Amino acid sequence: MDDKTKTAAGIAAGLQGMKYDDKRLAEIAAEVEILNDAVRKAAAARLTFDDDPAAFASVMAKEGK
Amino acid sequence: MRNEDLALEDLSAIADAIADGRITSVEATEACLARIEIWQPRTNAFLRVYKEKALAQARAMDAELKAGKRRGPLHGVPMAHKDMYYRKGELSTGGSKIRHDWKPDVTATVLGKLDAAGVVELGFLNMAEFAAGPTGHNVHHGHCKNPWDETRVTGGSSSGSGASVAARMVFGALGSDTGGSIRLPAAACGVVGMKATYGRVSRAGAVARSWSLDHVGPLTRTVRDNARLLGAIAGYDPDDSTTSEKPVPDYEALLEGGVAGMKIGLALPNGGPAPLDPKIGAAIQAAADALGKLGAKITVSKLPDFTALYRCAEVMVKCEAAAMHRPWMEKTPELYANQVRTRMEAGFFIPATQYIDALRLRAHFVAEFLSMAMDGVDAVLLPAIPFPIPTIEETDTETKGGPAVLKMVAGFTGLTRPFNTLGIPALSLPCGFDVNGAPIGLQLVGRPFDEAMLYRIGHAYQGATDHHKKVPV
Repeated sequence: MDDKTKTAAGIAAGLQGMKYDDKRLAEIAAEVEILNDAVRKAAAARLTFDDDPAAFASVMAKEGK
Repeated sequence: MRNEDLALEDLSAIADAIADGRITSVEATEACLARIEIWQPRTNAFLRVYKEKALAQARAMDAELKAGKRRGPLHGVPMAHKDMYYRKGELSTGGSKIRHDWKPDVTATVLGKLDAAGVVELGFLNMAEFAAGPTGHNVHHGHCKNPWDETRVTGGSSSGSGASVAARMVFGALGSDTGGSIRLPAAACGVVGMKATYGRVSRAGAVARSWSLDHVGPLTRTVRDNARLLGAIAGYDPDDSTTSEKPVPDYEALLEGGVAGMKIGLALPNGGPAPLDPKIGAAIQAAADALGKLGAKITVSKLPDFTALYRCAEVMVKCEAAAMHRPWMEKTPELYANQVRTRMEAGFFIPATQYIDALRLRAHFVAEFLSMAMDGVDAVLLPAIPFPIPTIEETDTETKGGPAVLKMVAGFTGLTRPFNTLGIPALSLPCGFDVNGAPIGLQLVGRPFDEAMLYRIGHAYQGATDHHKKVPV
């Protein structure tokens, strides 16, 4: 089991109370890595301290026809 | 009426004929029921048909008209909806085994609005389990089949909505769209599907897939029908705090006027999860040319990299779905299809900070899209599904694993899911047929709350073409 799969195993058992076999944990770890990387890169390029999730609704209302 | 079989008429023509007494709601309902008898065994579009209830409703609508009461432009029109809209005290499965006998104690806001509008309910329609899946597969209730070719998928998750409208079993249907689930079945089945702006239509009383990305909307045969149906269900709802208080325009009244002088940005993306098939690209180009001949100015729109938009949507849907499904995933995981359960599992492992950042990024993504792709244009034109419609067998992730199958299934939503992250309106309508004779769908994307613009362009396009008039035989 590699380090990322071990981390996933720790989250499953220790934090979420879910049981998965090693093969599935490795698949999940790989999937989560891709998603986390994408969000982290997009966030690093755009987000600042003052960014609020509710800004989405405001932008939609302001830009709306 | 133009057609001997009333079921072949479109929604607006039927509604108008009922209104002025040329036909009755009972006649329209009987025509749909006759059509269901022929097409249900071939498509499996319905999960439940309410024959007697529908006829009783139709008789009541006819009696009201006779007494001088007309509820509005949908009075007496038979429809059916994806089996995820709650009706108090009646079965609502969400396409699942888990809720095979579940009955809600509320009625969905959109069903309440259609009741008030006088719509006749023929029953409830097949769908992907808990609205999770872009193809139309369902291991619990049977796969839904494409009326144009029963070996091919309908698109999902609103599979029964697409198939039933295409096969002329109903005049209109509600679907829902979290990553393309209205637009994909609309495209694959050759009908019109609108994912309106996030907040334009209430989600109250509808099975959630992802609260942040879910959109409720109509599938119909024509753009006019779609505009009429959206007008009936749109608007603020105190039971859904994400709905907008912006007034709902009279979409149907705004259909005319044409596209002369409009600017439409053409985008033929050739990257992402699936490359663009040349024949699909040619059909979209031909649609752009047709709009150009009608007087629109066609330019090239530069789309942003969809990867981040797509991944952020995945983060939102996985985290939100994992949270809402946790009790069942802990206690009865075997009651899910494998491909439905495994789609959600990563949600337990994504850090909350990443989920929150995905939400924080949305405002930036919208601003970027509007300033880049929509700079100087009224709408963007692009494909809905970038490849020919595959077969049910070759996209069956439940029995066939492997990277090629998973990649093909993921490719379905490559050009639709980003617009759920953006929350902006997107309309899918038919624009031709692929190498296998299955429909091709285009997408028109607009600014927030500018559904009227998309309908106007789509209506002009349908006035100059006949793809929407073709009927599966």
